[in-house]
Amino acid sequence: MNQKKVCMIGVYGTGKTSLVQQYVHSKFSEKYHSTVGVKIDRKVVEVIGENLTLVLWDIAGKEGDEEVPASYVRGAHGVIFVADFTRRETWDELPAFDELVQGAAGVVPTVVALNKADLTAQRVIAPEDEQKFASKWDIIHTSAKTGQGVEDIFQRLARAMVKVPGAAS
Amino acid sequence: MDDPASRDTPDDSRGNAAGGTDSGGNATGGTDAELSHLREILVGPERKELAHLQSRVDRLGFTPERLADELPAAIFRRTDRGDRQLAIALAPSVEQALGESVRRHPRMIATAIFPVLGPAIRKAIAQALSGLVASVNAGIGQTFSWRGLKWRLEAWRTGVPFAQVVISHSMLYRVEQVLLIHAESGLLLAHVSSPDLVATDGDLISGMMTAIRDFVGDSFAAEREVGGLTSFKVGELEVHVEPGPQAILAAVVRGPAPQPLLERLRETIESIHLRFAGALVAFHGDTAPFEPSKDLLDDLLETVLQNDPRIIKRITWWPWVLAFVLLMALLAFVQWRRGNAWERVVTRLEAEPGIVVVKADQGWRRSRLSGMRDPLAARPAAMLAALGTDTTRIDGQWQPYVSLDSSVVIERARRQLRAPATVTLALRGDTLQAGGSAPMAWVVDVGDLRMFPPGVSHIAVNEVETQLPERVSAGIAIIEQRRVLFAIASSRLSPLAQVTIDSTASELLAMDSSLRVVGRHLELELAGRADATGLDSTNQSLSADRAENVRRALIRSGVSETAVSTRAFGSGVPLAVADTTARARVNRSVSFVVRVARSERSTIPR
Repeated sequence: MNQKKVCMIGVYGTGKTSLVQQYVHSKFSEKYHSTVGVKIDRKVVEVIGENLTLVLWDIAGKEGDEEVPASYVRGAHGVIFVADFTRRETWDELPAFDELVQGAAGVVPTVVALNKADLTAQRVIAPEDEQKFASKWDIIHTSAKTGQGVEDIFQRLARAMVKVPGAAS
Repeated sequence: MDDPASRDTPDDSRGNAAGGTDSGGNATGGTDAELSHLREILVGPERKELAHLQSRVDRLGFTPERLADELPAAIFRRTDRGDRQLAIALAPSVEQALGESVRRHPRMIATAIFPVLGPAIRKAIAQALSGLVASVNAGIGQTFSWRGLKWRLEAWRTGVPFAQVVISHSMLYRVEQVLLIHAESGLLLAHVSSPDLVATDGDLISGMMTAIRDFVGDSFAAEREVGGLTSFKVGELEVHVEPGPQAILAAVVRGPAPQPLLERLRETIESIHLRFAGALVAFHGDTAPFEPSKDLLDDLLETVLQNDPRIIKRITWWPWVLAFVLLMALLAFVQWRRGNAWERVVTRLEAEPGIVVVKADQGWRRSRLSGMRDPLAARPAAMLAALGTDTTRIDGQWQPYVSLDSSVVIERARRQLRAPATVTLALRGDTLQAGGSAPMAWVVDVGDLRMFPPGVSHIAVNEVETQLPERVSAGIAIIEQRRVLFAIASSRLSPLAQVTIDSTASELLAMDSSLRVVGRHLELELAGRADATGLDSTNQSLSADRAENVRRALIRSGVSETAVSTRAFGSGVPLAVADTTARARVNRSVSFVVRVARSERSTIPR
């Protein structure tokens, strides 16, 4: 059986836990519960006819000077960076997160979830901003609330991790 | 191996040949020397080193022949040191070779292992049965204790089988799960757990365990260098972590894990690193290569019960002893009660007149009574039923006999003598003593008996109040109505008085004669009186004379002297007479009082 460690990384309150809840349990809650440390979940996906178990490490979001522990990222096979469509600073932290991942896990498949895409009126991340990183990351608009892009982002990362041609890298 | 000197030759010749192409003659010789010198300068040290190494290799002598000679001894020495590394290193190759051999020559392998297979199977079955017996023993052992009742309540409350609850409490420790975790990613490589354990998600456990270890490692950096988190407790569970460079072994243990178990964990993680070194390094999410490691992990799953001999002894023996003692006490009590009841039955029968118990056997199912019984005695079955005994379980065998028990003798005599209900009978020695009252005819008949009932030598009827025949009673009444009358102031018998006396004597003699047969006789009292005229003293004397004269006349008429007595009333106790004119005449008289008395000879001899 094939397993992959996937880390969810982002600033606090970007919706990492909500994305995992929506993806694994098809649930969404408006209430916000800050993640303490890390939460582990699991989802089996099918990639080109093979089952792949994604072990999802929902790591507590960066808050102030509190850094994301590199030890949690070590050995990750793929990473999902989560930024908030409505908060600029969550987007700006992505390069730092990328550096952290490369230091702890090396170069691994990475995708960016631009979450809360349902809140279009409050959007602060401009398409130009996205364009800036488009060559580096696969950026997907997601909404844990509506389910938009949730399945897609995990599927894309899964395909990238098993090196399906044309997948994100 | 080739001699290094000889290997130099081609080089030299190649050198020479090369030199030869450049010049010839002495010039060639000089050039050779120069070249040799130059070669010595340029590669001399390397050549020497090469020669030295070649000589070392030759000294080691690793020729195939020598290796074949030395290898067994080398393996033996390494094994003898107790080093498991060699075994671990060889294991995959040996397993592969064995697998190949089994595949190609299964029959040969089957024949070879047959002698060990049978005992191994028997041993495995014996161990399984032993475990089962231990489990049952533990269960039974705790059944009778207070703790056992508590555990039974727990089993009822939790729905877990009682034996399992007993084992969980009596075990020393139990390795319930073993997880092999990739150290870097925290992914689960292999996971084994006890068969009866509720399935747990190994992926999540390994992930969280790794996260916790990472957290602990980050928080206590100094401790990380000495192994980091090596154990933690969750309720009754202890998780022991044995870290390796590439993988971590985590054992979930219920109860305190002993040191030998921790050492085995260490050995196992070392073995895994040795056997799966390549797979661990190349791990990128595929856990298939680690499937074989489950055999090693399975070896760690075990349940160790408390083997304190005192506990085992107590668990093994005391409930059985207690049960046995209780059973024996119960049996003894039942037997005692049955014995008592039987004893009462036998005693009652033995006390019954007319019954002689010869044999009394009490059995579990049926009992047997045998003996002798007088036909007049009570029926044993009725007696036992009255005592509440189940007579359907008793076989009785009674032979008839003639009992000499007094009550039976009396009953027999009563029947034989046809004694009236008014007659009482008692046995004194061999004499049957009759009492009460009976018709004189019965008394006479008894007196005529010549064959007495068994057990009776004499019959005494003297105490029987004889009911006189009508004839005697009427005769006595007539006599007692008679008066022998006298003239005034005279005690002389008149001719009429003499006639009265004679007839009375005759009648008395006849009646007395018939009474004497039954031990009775008549006694006659003569009451003399005088009329009221004259002095009392004169009247007293006159009445005495009158009675005396009548007595003498009776004696003369044949009445026994001893049977007649007199009393003189004077004029003090006059006869009541309604006619006043006749009162004086009637009281100048002697009247008769007749009594039936017992004779001295009242026993009828046999």
